[in-house]
Amino acid sequence: MSLEEPDLPTAAESEVGVTDDGLDYDALADLLGDRLLDREEHVNAEGFVIRPDQVQSVLFDLRDEAGFDHCSCVTAQEYDDRYESIYHLKKYDEPTHELSVVVPSPKDDPHNESAEPVYRTADWHEREAYDLVGIEYDDHPDLRRILLPETWQGHPLSGDDDQTEPQIVTLREHANPLADDHRADDAETMFVNIGPHHPATHGVLHLETVLDGEQVAHVEPDIGYLHRCEEQMCQQGTYRHQIMPYPDRWDYISAGILNEWAYARAAEDMADIEVPEYAQVIRTMSAELCRIAAHMLAAATFALDVNGDFTATFMYAIRDRERVQNILEDLTGQRLMFNYLRLGGVAWDLPEPREDFFEQTRDFLDDLPGNIQEYHNLLTSNEIFQMRTVDTGVLPPEEAKSYGATGPVARGSGIDYDLRRDDPYGYYDELDWDVVTEDGCDNYARVLVRLREVEQSARIIEQCVDLLEDWPEDERTIQSNVPRTLRPDPDAEIYRAVEGAKGELGIYMRSDGTDKPARFKIRSPCFSNLQTLPVMSEGEYIPDMIASLGSLDIVLGEVDR
Amino acid sequence: MTAPLQTPLPSSIADLLGLDPNSTVGLFVAALLGAGLIATVMLSLTAVLGIWGKRKITAAFTDRIAVNRHGPYGLLIIPADAVRLLSKELIVPAKVDRPAWDLAPLIIASSALLGFAVIPMGNGLHIADPEIGLAFVFATASIASLGLLMAGYASNNKFSFLGGLRAVAQNLAYEIPLVVTGASVVLFTGSLQMSEIVAAQQGTLVGPIPQWFAFVNPFAFVLFMIANLAEVGRNPFDIPEAPTEIVAGYQTEYSSVYFVLIYLGEFIHIFLGGAIIATIFLGGPAGPVLPGIVWFMIKMVSVYLFTQWARSALPRVRVDQLIQIGWKGMLVLSFANLVLTAIIVGVISA
Repeated sequence: MSLEEPDLPTAAESEVGVTDDGLDYDALADLLGDRLLDREEHVNAEGFVIRPDQVQSVLFDLRDEAGFDHCSCVTAQEYDDRYESIYHLKKYDEPTHELSVVVPSPKDDPHNESAEPVYRTADWHEREAYDLVGIEYDDHPDLRRILLPETWQGHPLSGDDDQTEPQIVTLREHANPLADDHRADDAETMFVNIGPHHPATHGVLHLETVLDGEQVAHVEPDIGYLHRCEEQMCQQGTYRHQIMPYPDRWDYISAGILNEWAYARAAEDMADIEVPEYAQVIRTMSAELCRIAAHMLAAATFALDVNGDFTATFMYAIRDRERVQNILEDLTGQRLMFNYLRLGGVAWDLPEPREDFFEQTRDFLDDLPGNIQEYHNLLTSNEIFQMRTVDTGVLPPEEAKSYGATGPVARGSGIDYDLRRDDPYGYYDELDWDVVTEDGCDNYARVLVRLREVEQSARIIEQCVDLLEDWPEDERTIQSNVPRTLRPDPDAEIYRAVEGAKGELGIYMRSDGTDKPARFKIRSPCFSNLQTLPVMSEGEYIPDMIASLGSLDIVLGEVDR
Repeated sequence: MTAPLQTPLPSSIADLLGLDPNSTVGLFVAALLGAGLIATVMLSLTAVLGIWGKRKITAAFTDRIAVNRHGPYGLLIIPADAVRLLSKELIVPAKVDRPAWDLAPLIIASSALLGFAVIPMGNGLHIADPEIGLAFVFATASIASLGLLMAGYASNNKFSFLGGLRAVAQNLAYEIPLVVTGASVVLFTGSLQMSEIVAAQQGTLVGPIPQWFAFVNPFAFVLFMIANLAEVGRNPFDIPEAPTEIVAGYQTEYSSVYFVLIYLGEFIHIFLGGAIIATIFLGGPAGPVLPGIVWFMIKMVSVYLFTQWARSALPRVRVDQLIQIGWKGMLVLSFANLVLTAIIVGVISA
């Protein structure tokens, strides 16, 4: 950066297609020239249809010339006559500048050039597309199944998947996946399976680790142990009511309402549903309560990873999180699977008597600064903790962007990216709060970001409580009028994201005119964030890898879906 | 004032039973009984503090209640846990290296118990008082490293292996500072004999402050406490087990009785560390009003409480940092302490 001439135009000005009032798709189309086959209209952005063998050249140009440095998600789907991969592009500086690159490929032999050389994050996203839908990505470094077992037969989201056939074959009939391992006799390294059952993997994650002494020579996350076909289940539910319970089960560490909002936002934008302001305030408040609960658990389990399993910090954080849980329980009736949002609003108003609810919430907020100070005393200001976390698990911002890292992981690497501010929804842009970033790029910075975000969430909740308290009684509309059966326009496509607890939680939906989505794709922040683990931990010690994994704050329910 | 050197425990037992303390057989029987008594005391203490006390203490540190449904104050958790642990299946993994795998828990548990043979606990509870008492207790305590290495190596498990290697690296790095710091006390007393060391701490330093070596040489005391934390493998030096990194280290593959033995060994080791600190830094059984054994237990358990406190509050250092602190920090400081003490002692005696 320092080598740049000071009088050059800033990045935003030099990007193709950027105008004062948004994105000029015609200019982008000119950039692609005759590589552009067709232009589609998606609800969130335009879709540029390109040839499957020109993916890399197009994406390189869009990244380098037009500034699309964030490949948010790769959606694969099958139509009657073709397969299709959609690369949802965004900019870290300006996430409202969106572009979908649509890559159709032939039905009989679906091939596609891989986007991995352009965006590292496409590695896993394309593996998932190959695994579930069956599109082959040429030039992909490692096109293997990712969510399903190696021995799985067929591709479950493709149309020709025959569920009467055996879906999994025995290892004997299949190439033995144990045959190719790193345990060569003359090797100086040691292969260790960390997980799927291990105290530090935060769930059923499997890290195939090659150790050189105590140092990590190579690590590869193996995911999919908690794959529950969430996308398929959502495709079988009706928009109106049957999908909303599922998001609670993605990031199940009390981030339920944040997840629900991702679906609510996508579906509401797709079907053009207005949400009453009062409901938006309630949504904002409850979502931030969820964020506090999620971040507290993140800090608590990070303390487990770094301090050991008798640490007091864990119990202190759980104790304080319990109070958030109680507030959420009073509000939603649930402690874990809230199912509180509805399309067009929320399920019900605040619990009566309202004064008690406000008092309970205010009490919690009043005690919070003291509690946070306690965590700072026990963790961040502890010299041993700093010794362990500062400059370990370093994730440089360029790498973070290339891997599509979002949320506290990106903000801990100094990337100022928060959809609540940059792509406002709910009531966030009316409120006074700050996006927290830290420039450390290390484990310490990520923990610090979470602890400081708790404070910001508390600020948001406080303002929401003030607003709700003074809201006129006759204007407390919790839901707008939404048709009993929702049938969005046929072929409407949308990709919408919200700032979940772990980062950008996006939903892609395509409607076929019925009351159920034809394709439902979840962009999980943990899925992208977890990909950065090798960058952070290779060459470091095992304890640092464990700490880095903890600082990523993954939830396997969301990684595997 | 000097404390009257007390009769060793075997002799008093021989007297009590009417055995001839000068005959080999009589002394042997009496010594066996004495050793049995001390071992029983230590094992009971471990049962109370390891099973019940540890739960309660950790709970107090972490804002919880812990066991309270099993009898008064949950004390009946002790027999319940004993039955539970002993009735579990002893799983012997395939390809473990026997008998090393079977011997390791025995070595870990017995080496720590052995050290209590020379610890003067007050009220005549003192099995033997050899002239090399302090050297003996350090020597027995470090046998445990052998057990840890055996456990780690024989388990045929990579996590155990890493844990065993970490344990040895850690004990090597911290036992030298431990012994060297202990030696600085010997410079004051001029004797390795435990009774002499206790006797040298009688009397007062300034005003009511007793002449314990913890007050005479606080620097050595702090060094010894830190090295002791590493020696017994508690935070911030619990890396041989490091549950979130290498599952449970060298004890990963042990279950049932073997697990109990390792667990016992660990706790007795902590108590032995406490006993050594009590003897060479805190005046042994000395203290007002209460009998000596009570004072001794209070001091020993205080050290145990300190390890639990560290465990609840402190993060764990990384393995390379641990080795660095050991070889670059503790070793240098402990030798500096030794040299300084030698100079001071020399000046005073001159």
